[in-house]
Amino acid sequence: MNLDGSAVLHGSQDDVWRVLTDPEVLARTIPGCLSLSRVGEDSYRVDVAVGVGAVKGTYAGEVRLSDQQPPRSYVMHASGAGAPGNVRATVTIELTPSDEGTTTLTYSADAVVGGPVAGVGQRMITGVAKRMAGQFFTAVDAELTGAAAPRPSAAAVSSTDAAAPAPAAAPVPAPQVSTGTAAAAPSSDLRTLAVGAAGGAGLTLLGVVVGWLLGRRRD
Amino acid sequence: MTTKLFGEPVRRREDARLITGRGRYLDDIGAGALAAAFVRSPHAHARITDVDVEGALDVEGLVAIYTYEDLTGPMAEPLPVLIPHPQLHAPRTGHPLADGVVNHVGEPVVMVVATDRYVAEDAAERIVVSYEELPVVVGIDTARAAESCVHPDVPDNVAARHHQETGDVEPALAASPHTLTFTQTIERSACTPLEGKGVHARWDPDDGSLRVYSSTQASTSVRAAIAAKLELSLDRVEVIAPDVGGGFGVKIVHPWPEELLVPMAAMRLGREVKWAEDRREHFVSSAHERGQRQQVTVGFDDDGRLTALDVHVWHDNGAYTPYGIIVPIITATQLVGPYVIPVYRVVVESLYTNTVIVTPYRGAGRPQGCFAMERTMDRIADSLGLDRAEVRRRNLITPDQFPYDHHLTFQDGRPVVYDSGDYPGLLEKLTALVGWESVEERRAEATGRGKLLGAGMALYVEGTGPGPYEGGHVQVLGSGKVLVSTGLTSQGQGHETVFAQIVASELGVPMEDVEVHTGDTRRFGYAVGTFASRAAVMSGNAVALAARGVREKALRIAAEVLEADPSDLEIDEGLVQVKGTPGASIPLRTVAVLSNPLRYAFDEAAKQATQFATHDDTKPPVAPGDAPGLEHRDYYSPLRSTFASGAHAAVVEIDPQTWEIDVVQYAVVHDCGNVVNPMIVEGQVHGGVAQGVGGALYERMAYDADGQLQNASFMDFLVPYASEVPDVVIDHQQTPSPLNPLGIKGAGEAGVIPGSAALASAIEDAVGRRVAAMPISPSELYDLVRDDTAERTAASARRTGATA
Repeated sequence: MNLDGSAVLHGSQDDVWRVLTDPEVLARTIPGCLSLSRVGEDSYRVDVAVGVGAVKGTYAGEVRLSDQQPPRSYVMHASGAGAPGNVRATVTIELTPSDEGTTTLTYSADAVVGGPVAGVGQRMITGVAKRMAGQFFTAVDAELTGAAAPRPSAAAVSSTDAAAPAPAAAPVPAPQVSTGTAAAAPSSDLRTLAVGAAGGAGLTLLGVVVGWLLGRRRD
Repeated sequence: MTTKLFGEPVRRREDARLITGRGRYLDDIGAGALAAAFVRSPHAHARITDVDVEGALDVEGLVAIYTYEDLTGPMAEPLPVLIPHPQLHAPRTGHPLADGVVNHVGEPVVMVVATDRYVAEDAAERIVVSYEELPVVVGIDTARAAESCVHPDVPDNVAARHHQETGDVEPALAASPHTLTFTQTIERSACTPLEGKGVHARWDPDDGSLRVYSSTQASTSVRAAIAAKLELSLDRVEVIAPDVGGGFGVKIVHPWPEELLVPMAAMRLGREVKWAEDRREHFVSSAHERGQRQQVTVGFDDDGRLTALDVHVWHDNGAYTPYGIIVPIITATQLVGPYVIPVYRVVVESLYTNTVIVTPYRGAGRPQGCFAMERTMDRIADSLGLDRAEVRRRNLITPDQFPYDHHLTFQDGRPVVYDSGDYPGLLEKLTALVGWESVEERRAEATGRGKLLGAGMALYVEGTGPGPYEGGHVQVLGSGKVLVSTGLTSQGQGHETVFAQIVASELGVPMEDVEVHTGDTRRFGYAVGTFASRAAVMSGNAVALAARGVREKALRIAAEVLEADPSDLEIDEGLVQVKGTPGASIPLRTVAVLSNPLRYAFDEAAKQATQFATHDDTKPPVAPGDAPGLEHRDYYSPLRSTFASGAHAAVVEIDPQTWEIDVVQYAVVHDCGNVVNPMIVEGQVHGGVAQGVGGALYERMAYDADGQLQNASFMDFLVPYASEVPDVVIDHQQTPSPLNPLGIKGAGEAGVIPGSAALASAIEDAVGRRVAAMPISPSELYDLVRDDTAERTAASARRTGATA
């Protein structure tokens, strides 16, 4: 199923590209991001804790990027799975500059949702997805405008190419994740950064994708 | 014989369990289940513009939120029109969750599932549904005016136009020496069982099976509806009605949205899910009944004998018609009561309003029909200056006229042919029981005490026990236990007792050995349901036939053992014996053991049935056409309904200061054919009278013009307490039904039917003002007697004239 959405970000096309591909930034801005690791060429693993309702749980995501055309577009192949269910999606992301110095991020996706999470009702999923996307884009925009207060990332970010320790024991954060970070993740687990962590953004977008998908199921 | 229990006032065996907290009601099941709650429409008629769940997401324990968009396949289609009818030309039903438009306050819009009901309610409270309000249709007048409509494609708000006639009524009226035309109204009410509806569902993903408990009057049909709507094979679905805390009709409707949504959620979430209706939900999202306007034109001769009757009824069916036009049909056909009506025409227009659906409530349209007919009798008597009992007597069908064909078609599609009855007998017993002849003396005595006393009466005939069928299964175990199963459900009527009485009597076993199971599709898959006073008639006869089958087989097996002819055997106290030959006997439990040839002796009793214990080499152990086990299954399917009857009389005293109406005497003569258990029948009559008094004096649904139900709680919806229910004196008459083996007729609804008619008659007799609308409250009565334009009865004028 094809679906799309967009967000206006306060930065140039280059700045947005840079931020969206900066794993340190992403680790800070992805709501509930627990860890981010590179597992291969343009392939990443991301663990995200979602703290809302029946969607609550830790999702392990695999993301692969292709067709990268900096700073204009890339294609993300993402899958996320956790106890609540799984999602598989292909998302095309495009950045379009405007005359006002802002950049419009447009995404277009094709996705499949499965597992128990598919049974909790589309408005529930849509609600969670909207909230997470909103938090993510707000946080990214704050990075771009410098409004974000400097603070350490709560997420564990691994640079090892080999299998990083899976954060299996990552505690589930409190439901309110207003900063867009996993509040309960121990900061002592901080590791050096991986390159290109757009997968994190992808996983957040998955929330949007899921919501869209369920929202359009009957159309 | 000591086991002849049929007809005995055996104590209800279920009561010890039910009244000591050992009942197992819906909410006792699934303590760890997820709980559902519903966001329901606050508007009577509105378009849904948005559903915002954002606020609910932070509620800890929230599991799922469903709206119409989550419904797929048959679930997304409208709920079934359960009982289609050619005259229901515009049937409309809702969806399990509203599809863009709501048509009454209380219609479910969003389903929330959470870890418990508190959490579910908290989450539901935070969901914001935006509406665009639409014009509201409330009440029969507004519906008839049709300035706006409930359903856009039904602009006149008329769902059905039910029409029956037995001749050419207009010339008959024109030729009548006298005619009267008048209009009456009767208010809405509701069943209000103490236990509301409730559903629990458990899905087993491993074998793909669904078990549903529902507080229903029709478990087999709920099962079929769930299978159809959730696209499951029937054999994968079990539905069980546990102990049910009252039904009174509302739980015969199915599938309720919740009966589909709770199983749907259980399947999607892989968790047990439960919903138990709360009281406000019951008021605004279950069903109501009764609301009608009636226009009656009657022709009669100088003796008060009817010549023709023309009735037009406007019936408020609420927002949807899932139960078809059953209530209008029953009003139309049961209105004729015990009377000879040479020419009868009835038209019932069933109207849509933006209110809760209208489906049968104990009596199911009969109280309204009785109100029309009996008040007609009162008016004829008043206009001719005749005694009200005498006018009735002159119009009664006489015992030599049975079977009596009214040339009408009943709710079961079968002819209205009264099978048996003795209506003059009823009236004679009633006038004696209430002391009809001494009413004037009592009136004078009450006047001396400053009270206004009046007496009224009402007769009815009630079609009971409609088909199509019920079944029964009886099995004798090697332990001697007798298992009885029937598919219809129980809501406290005493089925465990009466079915046990019937089987114990038929089989000749102690009642303690008999165990009755009802409403469980695992035990009996074929059934119709418990409604229309049919359980005793239908399942009673079915279990009797099944017991007779068991008895026949038991005698055959015992005859071989005892080397006797089966016709020489009898069964008493669980012992099969040769009549008149003490000692030549075999226990029925041993017959049960022998009925099942065994290879393996798992206990002492089983040894008797093993292959070296039985020695007839000429036959196979199980003969062709025979089957192992001492059990039998049988069905009872009647040609048509059987017609019970009764007569009620009420004496009221009214305080002219407060206009409080005190029912000081209430007499009932009741005829339900052969009585299985007179104590249970009297209990049914008492309960019915209580609801009849409620309907006459207290119960109403106070909808405002916006469709808001203003008395949706037991704080504001009045029901009679023990203090308001009069002592009821009962006399029985038994005219057996020739239609069924046991000769019985239904009794469940009888008590409620004539309540409003008899009490209106009594109040009218007391105050001398025409009572044409029921229920009537003290303040309404006060307004009536102060209203100079209110019609005075001729009887009152005569009394006043006589005393002046």
